[in-house]
Amino acid sequence: MSTPDYTIDQAAAAERPRFVDYMVRFFKSRRLWRTVLSLAGAFAFLALWDYASGNIWAVYILPSPIDVFNQMKELVQDGTVWHAFWATLRKTLYGWGAAFVIGVPIGLLMGRYRYANAFFQDFVYILANVPLLVYAVISLVIFGVSDTGPAFVVLLLVLPAVAINTAAGVKSADEGLLSMSRSFNRSPLAVTKSVIFPAVTPFLLAAGRVSFADSWKLAALTETFGGSSGIGFELNTSFELFSVVDALAWMFFFVLFVILIERVLLLPAERRIFSWRNPGEKLV
Amino acid sequence: MDPLEATQSNLPGIDPTQETERDLKDFEAEVAAKHPSRRRRYFGWLLSDEAARWTARLAALAIWAIAGAMFDRIPTPWATFSFIIDEAQRGELWGPIWVTLKRAIIGLSIVLVLGVFLGFLMGRFWPIRYLTTDLVMAAIALPAFIWALLAVMWFGFSEEAPIFVCVVSATPMLIVNTREGAAAVDHQLSKMSAAYKVSKVKEFRHLVLPTMSEYIFAGFRVAVLAGWGAILLVEWFGNGSGMGWRAQYWYDGLNFNGMLGWGVLMLVVIVAIDRLIMQPALNRTRRWRSREDQAWS
Repeated sequence: MSTPDYTIDQAAAAERPRFVDYMVRFFKSRRLWRTVLSLAGAFAFLALWDYASGNIWAVYILPSPIDVFNQMKELVQDGTVWHAFWATLRKTLYGWGAAFVIGVPIGLLMGRYRYANAFFQDFVYILANVPLLVYAVISLVIFGVSDTGPAFVVLLLVLPAVAINTAAGVKSADEGLLSMSRSFNRSPLAVTKSVIFPAVTPFLLAAGRVSFADSWKLAALTETFGGSSGIGFELNTSFELFSVVDALAWMFFFVLFVILIERVLLLPAERRIFSWRNPGEKLV
Repeated sequence: MDPLEATQSNLPGIDPTQETERDLKDFEAEVAAKHPSRRRRYFGWLLSDEAARWTARLAALAIWAIAGAMFDRIPTPWATFSFIIDEAQRGELWGPIWVTLKRAIIGLSIVLVLGVFLGFLMGRFWPIRYLTTDLVMAAIALPAFIWALLAVMWFGFSEEAPIFVCVVSATPMLIVNTREGAAAVDHQLSKMSAAYKVSKVKEFRHLVLPTMSEYIFAGFRVAVLAGWGAILLVEWFGNGSGMGWRAQYWYDGLNFNGMLGWGVLMLVVIVAIDRLIMQPALNRTRRWRSREDQAWS
């Protein structure tokens, strides 16, 4: 029986980090600076704005952040916000649903057949390059003042993204699995269900994340032109009343909604769906 | 020697190290050339990519024509195009296009300078990056049409409003891309050039610029699209000239041919800019990459 070796413990004790070390590490960490600096940036922006309103521009031209905040509070207490938010979201979701129903089959064809790829190429390119105003005009021409218009143009806007991403997913499907299914005489339906769809899903989700903000903007814009409810309609009202406070309040709601949906809905959904894949890999 | 390996390498005419896939493809092509299926022989040209593209274009035109004939509200293709010709004969076609293009050129030049400068600063210095990340995120989330409404309230019917909205809504996209580009500069290579005492100018010319230019042009392409849309929106909401104003003018006259005609023109101009200027420029910035890299990006 040998005596226990205390020297190692003593060395460890000597090297045990002290409080100061923790503090040093804390202040050196990028995450801290990141938070501090981004807060500082936001505050600097608000301070500049507060100074500019009243001093550089008149209050009715540029109201102070506090005025805008009070206006936002009022709109939340009214319940106007939730109503408008839901109206716009509903139209956007209708458009998205239709885009999935039409776009996924087109994408499957584009990924599988060279002919279909060439056939839809121009459509996809053109639809992705149309200025939003043109979409709004199309909605106004075809549907006039209605709820169908925004949903229809959201469909047109996101269709290319859905189709292209589905096609990319089909092309990324495992060639080995496909040829194995062929050897074992699986039906095309079964192959689509078990091999193609799992390959396509991540691409579709990517399409959703990339285009959601755009489609949301388009829905609101179309409401501004010819809508009877929603965020765009409220913005148009504030424009006609020449109320900058209202417009700024809705502008901030808009940003908050986009960030909220991105952070609270889409990002966690993506993390959850892909938690089985590469647990070490971080999905940004 | 492994007996199996010996047999394989001794087989006449077959080299096991060679890929056989290529031979198979050649063989298939040979067979196809000798014995074309009836479908291929008669309809082969109909199945080519070019034919597919033209079929698609004609199909789109046909759908538009049918929709126009069926519904009162939808203008037919010929009504739309004859409207454009009428507009040209009235002498009202090129003026608005030129006015909008001029605004786009001024606005996008400002966007290019501002976006590259800010994006480079943000990519190179992390305190600046952290200071502005959230603000840029918020700016990207802001739609151009809210800026357009605000700008009309602030500036009224003026020349500043379209340019202001163009700058405000397009710059964040370029900033984000330039920032990525500045961060993507190969750290190893820049350390190596420091070790070999390569001059800063040379490093910038041969390392930083080639890496960043690709990102800058990709971002600028998006910014051009965003800026173009923004200018049109301002012109629609409150301006006395330009393509957006012209479309709005016909909307007030409830002339759907006019609205759609100007919509088509807006689309044609931006597609022409994208095809003739932006895409060649982007491809030029990618010349230094290998073919495989280009296919990936």
